[in-house]
Amino acid sequence: MTAELLEKKPNPIANKRKRSGKEQFWLIFRYTSLTFIWFLIVMPIYVLVVNSLKGVKDVYLVNAFDLPKSLDFSAWPISWSGGDYFSAFSLGESMTRTLFFVVQSSLISAIIGSINGYVFAKWKFPGSNIVFTLFLFGMFIPYQAVMIPLVQLVTNMGVNKSIYVLVMAHVIYGIPICTLIFRNYYASIPDELIEAGLVDKASRIRIYRSIILPLSLPAFVVVLIWQFTSAWNDFLFAIFLTGGSPKLSVATTTLNFITGSSNQVFYGLNMTASLIVSLPTLVVYIFLGRYFLRGLLSGSLKG
Amino acid sequence: MALQTSKRFSTWIGGFLLVVPSIAAVTVFVYGMIVWTIKISMTDRISASVKEPKFVGFQNYTNLLSDTRFTHAFENLVKFTFVFIVGTTIAGFIMALLLEKGIKGEGFFRSFYLYPLAISFIAMGTVWNWLLNSNVDADAGGLNLLLQKVGLGFLQNSWYLSENGAAYALALPAIWQMAGYVLALFLAGFRGIPDDLREAARVDGASEAKIYRYVLFPQLTPTLFTVLIILGHVSMKVFDLIIGINGKSYVTQVVAVYMWESTFDQRNYAKGTAIAVVLLLLIALIIIPYLRWVIKQENENR
Amino acid sequence: MSQNYLKVKGLSKKFGNVVALNNFSLEVARGELVTLLGPSGCGKTTALRLVAGLERQDSGTIFLESRDLTLIPAHHRNMGMVFQAYSLFPNLTVAENVAFGLQMRKVDRSARIKKAHELLDLVGLDSQSARFPHQLSGGQQQRVALARALAFEPEILLLDEPLSALDAQVRSNLREEIRRLQLSLGTTTLFVTHDQEEAMSISDRVGVMNEGRLEQIDTPDDLYNHPKNVFIANFVGLMNQVSGTKTGKSVSVFGANLKVKNEVVTDGRVLVYIRPEFVELECTESDADAKVISRLFLGSVSQVICQLNDGTIVHSLLSSRMSAEFAPGIRVKIRVNEDEVLVSNG
Repeated sequence: MTAELLEKKPNPIANKRKRSGKEQFWLIFRYTSLTFIWFLIVMPIYVLVVNSLKGVKDVYLVNAFDLPKSLDFSAWPISWSGGDYFSAFSLGESMTRTLFFVVQSSLISAIIGSINGYVFAKWKFPGSNIVFTLFLFGMFIPYQAVMIPLVQLVTNMGVNKSIYVLVMAHVIYGIPICTLIFRNYYASIPDELIEAGLVDKASRIRIYRSIILPLSLPAFVVVLIWQFTSAWNDFLFAIFLTGGSPKLSVATTTLNFITGSSNQVFYGLNMTASLIVSLPTLVVYIFLGRYFLRGLLSGSLKG
Repeated sequence: MALQTSKRFSTWIGGFLLVVPSIAAVTVFVYGMIVWTIKISMTDRISASVKEPKFVGFQNYTNLLSDTRFTHAFENLVKFTFVFIVGTTIAGFIMALLLEKGIKGEGFFRSFYLYPLAISFIAMGTVWNWLLNSNVDADAGGLNLLLQKVGLGFLQNSWYLSENGAAYALALPAIWQMAGYVLALFLAGFRGIPDDLREAARVDGASEAKIYRYVLFPQLTPTLFTVLIILGHVSMKVFDLIIGINGKSYVTQVVAVYMWESTFDQRNYAKGTAIAVVLLLLIALIIIPYLRWVIKQENENR
Repeated sequence: MSQNYLKVKGLSKKFGNVVALNNFSLEVARGELVTLLGPSGCGKTTALRLVAGLERQDSGTIFLESRDLTLIPAHHRNMGMVFQAYSLFPNLTVAENVAFGLQMRKVDRSARIKKAHELLDLVGLDSQSARFPHQLSGGQQQRVALARALAFEPEILLLDEPLSALDAQVRSNLREEIRRLQLSLGTTTLFVTHDQEEAMSISDRVGVMNEGRLEQIDTPDDLYNHPKNVFIANFVGLMNQVSGTKTGKSVSVFGANLKVKNEVVTDGRVLVYIRPEFVELECTESDADAKVISRLFLGSVSQVICQLNDGTIVHSLLSSRMSAEFAPGIRVKIRVNEDEVLVSNG
């Protein structure tokens, strides 16, 4: 698996205690460059954080990079509840709702992915490779190409304002990547394990339950995190399928925060709201970044 | 080796039944919907008031060609894609090159380089909206202010509000977000090359620079190919990023944004679907050969 | 032979807290093939990598004639090296692989192509020159690797277990081929292996290593017949260990008194080391030392495995014609056909 390769480092030739001048130069060069890039990467987040600590009104473009004069958390509760500034949208409400649906869709996706992955890796049927390839193509399509019929469908069914439409969408359009991740993971399990089970007269289902499933935790973590992050960050389905209802999902609420519905734009609140909605995925990333990366690399088919 | 597909019906039918629901879902919601989209794109359903749309053939597609708003969006997409792909590839490759030998603190740098991937484009829209603010000199904020501070004030510009540079400017946040992905792919590529090859080259008389030039870089060609394909298809789909920073504004419209506008603001489903089909074709054009290549490689490795 | 072409003196190397090489010294004569043999982790590969310049020693020096290589980086050392496996450049053809070292030395294109074909011809693979490494078998790949290592006429050829990933048949063919090439080109060679048959069969001299030290370096014959210590005796060839009683300079075993070769051992019960070919058997009814457990037919010779009354296993190597009578279950008397033996307190 590609992701494992990241942990493997080449043999360093140089003995750490004695470095020639040339090696010393390159080492300093590398650290300097890495640090410079680090600043570039962190800068936008830095701007988010410092400006969320400046209260509601003290936030101006010209002092975007300045540290707050004094820590002012007043923008946080207002962003969370909407308050008097954005009475129409409560970020807290839509975050709770989004969390609820994102967790549901991730769990369902993982279960489906695991079963499909098992079949495509270890229980093939005639034509299964072609079916799998057709699944893979579904991973890359622009969802715009299915969106309008989908909108018509949910409108006709009268469910276009329901959060379950989003659950369904993320589950269905998540089938390809979830199947792929599990299939690749199961492909690395030796066939002998399955054959040993078959020789012992265990059924294929039984083998899945008692041999494959207990080994699947890492793949489950990868899929759960992947589906969680992409559903949480999703904007396309949210904006099309909820009929423009801004309150339903966190992405649409955030957008309405940013574009603002009142005449005045409160940057402090915008920054704070953006930071708050980024926190769940950031927390997941901090603790389970390795698994997130694996999902990411699977998306290139090279995982 | 994969388990042999058994010829006996009774052994594979169970597995097939397990994936039938997924096959049905993908058939209906991916391929079925695509067919439906194509069907709508060939009707005259150009507003919500058309209740019984008629078949008009490729009319909507030919209309797109003369639609200056579409060609503008397409032009923007090409500009954006160019800067985004070149910038992200170079940035990610440099990051991988700096890290590939292993360095103390690699984990630290790597996690920071990759975290933008976990954050939504919409949430970052606010910040980039600021950073790419067009005010200059005394009123400057964001990147213009930063450029002044480091003595590069002459580079200040109006970013996504500039007449010609808007699409290029928006590639900047996209590079910021995706460079980590390229880093991960290239780093894995570097680390997949056996140490023995570097050492063999070294004893054969290759200096460090020549090892990169003759041994390592040539072996990263497949990785580069993957990177270009992935970035290419991400780029064609770009939507949230643009909306998050500049909404539906004409100046920064790309194909996906124009499709949204056509669909929702103009209620012109025929045009919306036609644009979507064009987008699908563009992506299919690069993804199908890529899929074939990946599958061929996988089969060779068995 | 003057033994001062390659001179390695006092090399030491630690990885973290692990001592990989401890005060290692070695001299190799021009044109000689010297093998470093030892169990895994004994430091033989580290020694080779230090000579190649792929690692840097903590202390010690490396000289090639009068040239001090100690601080010269690998790519300026002019040594050819063959690795275990996977060391051909996958993006280059077979001929380009072989020409790589010459390309790095800025030899012009036509000259290096000519040289590559010459070497591929030597290893019998000129017909494959336009192919890519992954199209070759493992044995062919290692031949190409050998040709590549020799192409730029290196001063030393370094072989790091080049045969260990190959099948038995291919391994023994290639082993002979390496020796043939080495002799005909006269390339000074340092070979590393854990396979003693390999080491003993093709080397001028074999150095046995243990725990980062060179225990003994000698011709294969001397190593086998005159091991300096018990480790060598046990490591090289098959060796029986039976208990005996030592008094002064002699030891009594199987009713015979033999001279003790090494004298640092205290008197009393000792372990006596005897090669299987010096163990002779005789059928007996009464005063048997042992019982035959099994007989392995190896062609012209057979190995008879016996168990002593105290449970110790003793191997005897006899000509097959002589050993037919020693079927399992037969009781035998043991005679040692040797005057001088190694002993240890054990």
